[in-house]
Amino acid sequence: MIRRPFLTLLAAVAFTIMLGPVVILLGVAFTAGSTLTFPPEGLSLRWFGAALAYQPFLDSFRTSVVVALTSTLFALALGIPAAVALHRGSLPGRRVLENLFLSPVIVPELVLGLALFQQIMVGLHSTATAALVLGHTVLLLPYAVRVAGASLALADPRLEEAARGLGAGPVRTFFSVTLPVMRPGILSAAILAFVTSLNNVPLSLLLTGPGVATLPVEMLNYVQSSFDPVVAAVSVLLLAGSVAVALVTERLVGFTKVFGR
Amino acid sequence: MANTAETAAAPGTPVVRLDGVSREYGKASGAFAAVSDLSLDVPRGSFTTLLGPSGCGKTTTLRMIAGFVRPTSGRILLEGADATSTPPEKRNIGMVFQSYALFPHMTLRDNVAFGLRTRRIAKPEVLRRAGEALELVGLSHLADRRPAQLSGGQQQRVALARAVAVRPSVLLLDEPLSNLDARLRVQMRQELLRVQRETGLTAVLVTHDQDEALELSDHLVIMNGGRLEQQGAPREVFPAPANRFVAEFLGYQNFLTVPGHGPVTVRPEHTRLLADGEAAGGDGVLLDAQVRGVTYQGSHCLVEVAAASGDGEATLHCLHPGDDVRPGARVRIALPHRHLVALAGGAGTEDR
Ligand SMILES: Nc1ncnc2c1ncn2[C@@H]1O[C@H](COP(=O)(O)OP(=O)(O)O)[C@@H](O)[C@H]1O
Ligand SMILES: [Mg+2]
Repeated sequence: MIRRPFLTLLAAVAFTIMLGPVVILLGVAFTAGSTLTFPPEGLSLRWFGAALAYQPFLDSFRTSVVVALTSTLFALALGIPAAVALHRGSLPGRRVLENLFLSPVIVPELVLGLALFQQIMVGLHSTATAALVLGHTVLLLPYAVRVAGASLALADPRLEEAARGLGAGPVRTFFSVTLPVMRPGILSAAILAFVTSLNNVPLSLLLTGPGVATLPVEMLNYVQSSFDPVVAAVSVLLLAGSVAVALVTERLVGFTKVFGR
Repeated sequence: MANTAETAAAPGTPVVRLDGVSREYGKASGAFAAVSDLSLDVPRGSFTTLLGPSGCGKTTTLRMIAGFVRPTSGRILLEGADATSTPPEKRNIGMVFQSYALFPHMTLRDNVAFGLRTRRIAKPEVLRRAGEALELVGLSHLADRRPAQLSGGQQQRVALARAVAVRPSVLLLDEPLSNLDARLRVQMRQELLRVQRETGLTAVLVTHDQDEALELSDHLVIMNGGRLEQQGAPREVFPAPANRFVAEFLGYQNFLTVPGHGPVTVRPEHTRLLADGEAAGGDGVLLDAQVRGVTYQGSHCLVEVAAASGDGEATLHCLHPGDDVRPGARVRIALPHRHLVALAGGAGTEDR
């Protein structure tokens, strides 16, 4: 390796910035003291116990999981056909559509949330959960289209023709060739969408109603009134969950390599 | 493998007939014809080759036969019936793609069985025929592998097995050997020919490689700019190219105008380079020439000369058995009448 002191320093700074808060979070979560202070005053698991005993966290976690699962499913159900149409169809104006699917990423989510809030909750008297699911579906759709579509973009566009030439009609071709070829992309999209929904704050903040909140929103409420380390313990639990999901993703990407091309 | 040699023996309707087929791309205003008014027959049991330079419309033609591209005008007949608007899955074709397009998520056996499963054939029969097809290309021992675990040559064989397993009425091959390295490509030609003969299938091959076309086909179709230039058996087409394009594409290099013959071409090995005072012997055209360059090639030399022909100076390439000529030497070139190939339309040297 060539020595590059400047680059090494930059990398060290970057890692410190990235990992510093995590180290502090871990320290605070495992503290035996009763304030959000660092370094911790002794080690204990008491705040994890407190977190799991706090009913609003349990309720909002359930809401979060339900919303994340449902909106992921909806986003995939809409996103997979859209990805196929974008990559395999001969749609006029494909570019425009592709950019349209990217737009929720560009449009600030708060604006989107506000619009949905007014239109749906006020206008249609819909439930908070329904509004959350709808909002998150819109939020996740671009991920579903892009990530699920990536595996199609990489696959040989002649695969479907090969199937047709061998006597399979369009429907059979879709289920026996297109969908299996997209499988790794669909799995990645599902995981990415689920985690994105689970961690979302801005959109959820606007769509939560009386008595219904997602976990991140409930955490935000909690820190506004108390300063004990319970929130740190919840964050560590969420972090552990995300790391587990990342590891699963890694396994699935490895899986893709076995399939190869 | 049970074959269709019985039907191959019977003359009759061509397996594929293209009747004035055109395919245009682009807007009506600036339409560009990838294929123009192409009419041809693919004889039953033949190995027909579409040969031409890149972009001349070969793939488009093949894809129209397969049903992946709709002609903008003209008709396509398969087994004598109009199939112009029949979808690909109802055409009973077997196609080998340039990229092979093997299903990455299936084993070789399932790849080969795919076309049989769409045909409502009983399961034991499907497995038997898939096994036979893999046997035919010598890959039975890899039946449980996936395509990614195979070499390019092996993938090529699987693609071939998958296409022949369904016993298609026509086997369509789009530059199937072009992704293989040079040595394997030459080996696979004979392999391809063997499979076609053993199965008795009618084949249409697309290639830009003239050697491949000459070695494989019994019916050669030469295309240029979306049009048919010449067709026939390689043994008829090669010694008698109809025009300058075909001649150049088949490797002819000498183009000149000879009084009493008009525009002609002649192969380097059919020219004779005469030293000073040497008798021509036999009948033929004699031209005065000056040697420009000599390339030593072992058993012979390739001599480039500037010869005085009917329409001024022409550059000729002559195969000369000795190594006794040097650049600048004045020589005479003898061109035997029987080796002069008359070219039609605009074959002059300036017409490039
Ligand atoms: N889908 C298409 N859209 C526009 N032009 C096309 C399309 N397919 C082929 N072409 C054009 O038609 C011509 C013939 O193409 P092709 O049949 O692939 O030639 P070949 O196989 O002989 O190299 C080329 O100029 C190509 O660019
Ligand atoms: Mg081509």
